Amino acid sequence: MSYPEVIEQSNQVLKALVDAGERVLGYIYPHPPHEIIIAHGLKPSLVRTNPSVVGAYEASLQTFSCSLTRNLFSQRVNNSFPQLAGIVFSGNTCDALQNVGDVWRKRFPKDNVFRLTYPVGDLGASSVDFLAMEIKAFSDELASLYGEEFSESSFREAIMLLDEIRNALQLLYCVRILHPSLISYNTLSSLVGEFLTAPTQEAADRIKMTWNEVLERIENMGQRNKVGQLRDSLLNHDLSDFETVIDTSGPRIAVIGGMIEPNTVAGLLENVHGISDTTLVLDMLSFGFKTVFTPPVGIEDDPYEESARSILGAHSEPTQEGLPKRITFLKDVLTRLSIHGLIVCEQSFCDPDEFESPSLERAAKEVGVPTVKLPLDSELSDRARIEGRIQTFLETIDDN
Amino acid sequence: MNDEKPYRKLETQALLQQIAFRHGMEAMAASEEGTLAWVSSGFPVEIPVAMNVFPTYPEQAGAIIGATKIGPEVCGFAEDLGYSQELCSYARASIGSTDRPDDVAMGALPKPQALLGCNNICGTILKWYDANSEQTGAPVFLLDTPPLEAEQKPHHRAYVKQGLERLIEFLAKTFNTTLEEDRFREVSDLSSRAIKLWTQSLKACQNKPSPLNCADRFLTMAPVVSSRGVEHCTEFYEVLLAEVEDRVKQGIGAIREEKIRLLWDNIPPWFILRFFNQLAAQGVVFPADTYTHAWSGAVEGTDTDSLLDGIADIYSNVYLNKNLDAKVDKMCQLIKDFDLDGFVMFSVRSCKRYSLGQLVSKEIVTERTGVPGVVIEGDMVDSRLFNEAQIQTRVDALLEMFV
Repeated sequence: MSYPEVIEQSNQVLKALVDAGERVLGYIYPHPPHEIIIAHGLKPSLVRTNPSVVGAYEASLQTFSCSLTRNLFSQRVNNSFPQLAGIVFSGNTCDALQNVGDVWRKRFPKDNVFRLTYPVGDLGASSVDFLAMEIKAFSDELASLYGEEFSESSFREAIMLLDEIRNALQLLYCVRILHPSLISYNTLSSLVGEFLTAPTQEAADRIKMTWNEVLERIENMGQRNKVGQLRDSLLNHDLSDFETVIDTSGPRIAVIGGMIEPNTVAGLLENVHGISDTTLVLDMLSFGFKTVFTPPVGIEDDPYEESARSILGAHSEPTQEGLPKRITFLKDVLTRLSIHGLIVCEQSFCDPDEFESPSLERAAKEVGVPTVKLPLDSELSDRARIEGRIQTFLETIDDN
Repeated sequence: MNDEKPYRKLETQALLQQIAFRHGMEAMAASEEGTLAWVSSGFPVEIPVAMNVFPTYPEQAGAIIGATKIGPEVCGFAEDLGYSQELCSYARASIGSTDRPDDVAMGALPKPQALLGCNNICGTILKWYDANSEQTGAPVFLLDTPPLEAEQKPHHRAYVKQGLERLIEFLAKTFNTTLEEDRFREVSDLSSRAIKLWTQSLKACQNKPSPLNCADRFLTMAPVVSSRGVEHCTEFYEVLLAEVEDRVKQGIGAIREEKIRLLWDNIPPWFILRFFNQLAAQGVVFPADTYTHAWSGAVEGTDTDSLLDGIADIYSNVYLNKNLDAKVDKMCQLIKDFDLDGFVMFSVRSCKRYSLGQLVSKEIVTERTGVPGVVIEGDMVDSRLFNEAQIQTRVDALLEMFV
């Protein structure tokens, strides 16, 4: 499915939800408290960039605002956004989202704009406490604005739903890594896309159905336990006990970067001449891998604390402390999962992406894995050149 | 010769050069002794200073690299390492000069033993220091001060205070040192005195003619950034304030013929500070700016606990850590207090935290104060991103409104 088709499908799903009387709350940063939002009777949905949007941000934002914020702003100015009951901006994640949230409030005073501030520091319990208080304040704001109090029973149902979705997607990610011929990256990225559009029971059913189809084949291969082991290792951010994958059937590529959707990457690869369906075995993107490999929300303690603990238990973003840990994990991924090449995505004017990419490239080179950097913008304005770079990169790996 | 220029040079500048030289020598000695920390400009330096850790500032080094007009070359060293030209030029200058210190005549800092960053000025600090850490092997400590939507909430303050307690542990472990309450109080007191003297000099610019222009303040702010909390910093601001007050008493302005009073918003283009002097020839003075007013919060407290409370409050409430409304309020207040005719917003491509939002705040400030403003775009260190002719055209258009 091409990225424009993903957007079209996403808009149709959102329209159907709105027509059915549902309220949809858009989010930008990939770690919203899904379960808390659902507990207020709302559907969380990723606000997507649109490659075909006409630029309309210039009266409010400078050209050096990141391409993601410029694209979203242009969509809003052009009234081409899906119908949202509100939009959540993250605070303390990057300077662009921080400031553009303020600009949005000024330019669109009738929009319901929320700010959820995240801790950058890796302070353990202090960070959890801080985020829990922020989520509680956010929850109170939702209750006040929409008149629907936090519902304990809806919260528990949401936990079960998100667990079903994440669990199945995590296993599918692992199948893709271990046996890429069993599920295409296109299928995987489409399922992740459905989750991001709206974590509904229908989406969960489709994701589980795909898992059940794959499961049968995995069991026939006697690989069920291996898939489970890999899932646990990835959830624990530690591959040191995982037996190295040895697969020499073809080049195995991973892709890493920030706020780029797996669907976008899948769309880019579609047009690359000679690429095999089994080549891209893993993405480590914020909207894909990192959102999916978020630990489940517990039910023992205060819901806000449990939600905060879950969010902070996900693989950290370039906006957070922990570069040395991310580098160690990346090296483990590259060596233990037999990755032959790494594509580093770098979003235009995205400080976290652009600062981190040289470190990622150096780390890959240290373990003997070649890399290619892809400067991207939301409009994929340089698409032909990007595809050319990927193709050349793959040819180089083939030669080796 | 000096009398022929449209601006007046401060006598205190000679002392400033001595302080800068002294600071550089002390930083080198500290590096050799294993007590040097690179510190971001909004970091609560009172704590490392009280723990005998010597702070020096990559941002200030970036300003020096900019002022000596080697910004493009040094930023290029970082670009050679894979860092995008779209990134902060302070950071690129820092990464570049750390990579090739022997190729940088002025502005390369001695090797640090720790990197102390506080994100109250921007989110870039963490990423920049992560890169420096990979280069130098020095560990990064981040003091996380989440941006404020309005008043600081109790859980915000508690979180920042826990970060400060963690900082004390980090410094104790890294430098084998302790925080003694008497010394902490003494350093905080010195810091507050320096800041109060500095603030008095800034306030004196409400007078007409203004005793200081933008470039004067950008240069004389260096000690309050780099050395607040030490004795000679306080002494410097006593001398500066005396000169400023003397100018006020005698009716001497920073420029010879003050006609138009403007507000400056953002970091200056360090490589072309003559920009302000050229405008001085047209009678334009900048009695106030948002950048140098950032150092206005004095740390107060009677014991370690209350001092930490004060620091958690002051360092969270800096200008850049607040929302757009607070920034607009501050600009409007400065325009009113300093009786300004208009404002110039420098949209710095390197600095998203400072610059994104200016297009909107320009409209609101004009609406609220009735004075016109202009947005010009460029950079503070990387002169490749500065089109002087285009900027002059825009500023001229603003000045025509006052004729």
